[in-house]
Amino acid sequence: MAIITISRGSYSKGKEVAEKVADRLGYECISREVLLEASKRFNIPEMQLVRAIHDAPSILDRFQHSKQAYIAYIRSALTGQVKRDNIVYHGLAGHILLKGVPHVLKVRITANLEDRIRAEMNRESIGESEARELLFKDDQERRKWTKSLYGVDPWDSSLYDLVIRIYKLHVDDAVDLICQAVGREQFKTTDSSRHMMDDLAIACQVKAELVEQFFDVAVTSDYGNVIVYTKTQERLSHKLKVKVKGLEKEIEGINNLEVHGGVPYPPNAV
Amino acid sequence: MPIIIFSSDSYQKSSELAKKTAETLGYKYVGREILGSVAAKYNIPEAKLTKALDEAPSFFGMSTKEWKQNLAYIREAVLGEMLADNVVCCGLAAHLYVLGVAHVLRVRIIEDPEERVRKVAEQGHITLEKAKKLVQRIDKQRKRRSIECFKKNETDPSMYDMMINTSQIDSEEAVGMVTTAAGYRKFKPMTYSIKCMQDMELEGRLLAVLLKDYPEVRVQARDGAVVVEIKALKREKNKKASAIKELVGKISGVHYVEVHVINDIFRQAAESGR
Repeated sequence: MAIITISRGSYSKGKEVAEKVADRLGYECISREVLLEASKRFNIPEMQLVRAIHDAPSILDRFQHSKQAYIAYIRSALTGQVKRDNIVYHGLAGHILLKGVPHVLKVRITANLEDRIRAEMNRESIGESEARELLFKDDQERRKWTKSLYGVDPWDSSLYDLVIRIYKLHVDDAVDLICQAVGREQFKTTDSSRHMMDDLAIACQVKAELVEQFFDVAVTSDYGNVIVYTKTQERLSHKLKVKVKGLEKEIEGINNLEVHGGVPYPPNAV
Repeated sequence: MPIIIFSSDSYQKSSELAKKTAETLGYKYVGREILGSVAAKYNIPEAKLTKALDEAPSFFGMSTKEWKQNLAYIREAVLGEMLADNVVCCGLAAHLYVLGVAHVLRVRIIEDPEERVRKVAEQGHITLEKAKKLVQRIDKQRKRRSIECFKKNETDPSMYDMMINTSQIDSEEAVGMVTTAAGYRKFKPMTYSIKCMQDMELEGRLLAVLLKDYPEVRVQARDGAVVVEIKALKREKNKKASAIKELVGKISGVHYVEVHVINDIFRQAAESGR
């Protein structure tokens, strides 16, 4: 009983690995479903969400904070889905969006660059140099995205529990290794890790509800006791308190909800 | 049977896993213990060999020439051990020079950074802050070493078949995964991969002999045919080429020697300016 996140570059066969792992373990395999739910729940066109998780934020985006809002929506939809457990998620940034949950096995699948180039050439019917350039651009865009939003490099291997290169190791070998790792005690869902996951889902949901009006709030939840941290001025803080009060009844699982202003944000806040 | 190479920022952790893997598979473990025999063979202090593995050359430390030479001695010994197959190698920078051999499984162990800092602080009886700075310095040095000497960034995931983070995956499981992977057909030695290893071993022996007198030498070996590339002045060309041919010709496994001499334009310019 675990959650597996599979991070991948384009043409790295990560999707194939994820589907086979889910199939072997009898888990649910999700990726686009998260975007569809976020799109439906927050009434945002799916295309805009896709762009939000693919392209790095432009200078204008940094002022508008629209990307932060979209990410909060996606994170809320993702945590809402994975808290059901027994899930393989192979969308973007799963390892970052689910950071801190102990029963999440974070995997990265990489592939030989030459194989990826060949796959791109076949799919797009283009030449080698063009395919190489496109892949390079795509990789850079993904790296920039994660760096600008989370301050970490997605290629930093210490973010993952396991990095497998599909070259000498085949897709089926990678599936074997992932299934072998996830069977270990440390990735089994415990009461405490389930609570952690539920709390993360609640915090993400609260953040998603607030982020459009209050982009810089941070939220924590501990057994349903939610604290919203803010740096906003007194006038806005009052507005925030009113908005937060309404959420207490709207979101399931909240025991108590408080707003704290002028204190530093805890590192585990979302 | 395959060769398994472990690499890590923390030698302690990777050697622990490498030893366990070797024990599980019944393979030979090749670690820094071999440095003693290398030091004795070339009559140099063992500490210098360890330093060459951990640090990049510097103005106040080891010179580039000495550093490269020490690494060549280590490389010669490691490749010699690897010819025997069924080997688990760790802490000898083998991941940086054993490239392009199909039956080599390359594994990188990533230790939890905080755990590593804690260990360094405990061992050195220093504060966590000092230990953190020390670890950062060590990592920087290692990165510089791998890029300067081998033109490879050892933290690049594309250099490895798998990377295991031991902060969540325990040692037993990590060993289990490596032994599973080592059993895959892809890592079984084939005629071609064994030949690649033999060529590489010969290159290693040649470099250990040649680097002392020719610091910028480049060597290529294929089935006992050797091509040596050096830089020299035009007037030295014949003398150096025949000296190398004589030296290399004595080495076992060499059937044919070709020496390519490139004109050393910097030395030529320096001499013409006198």
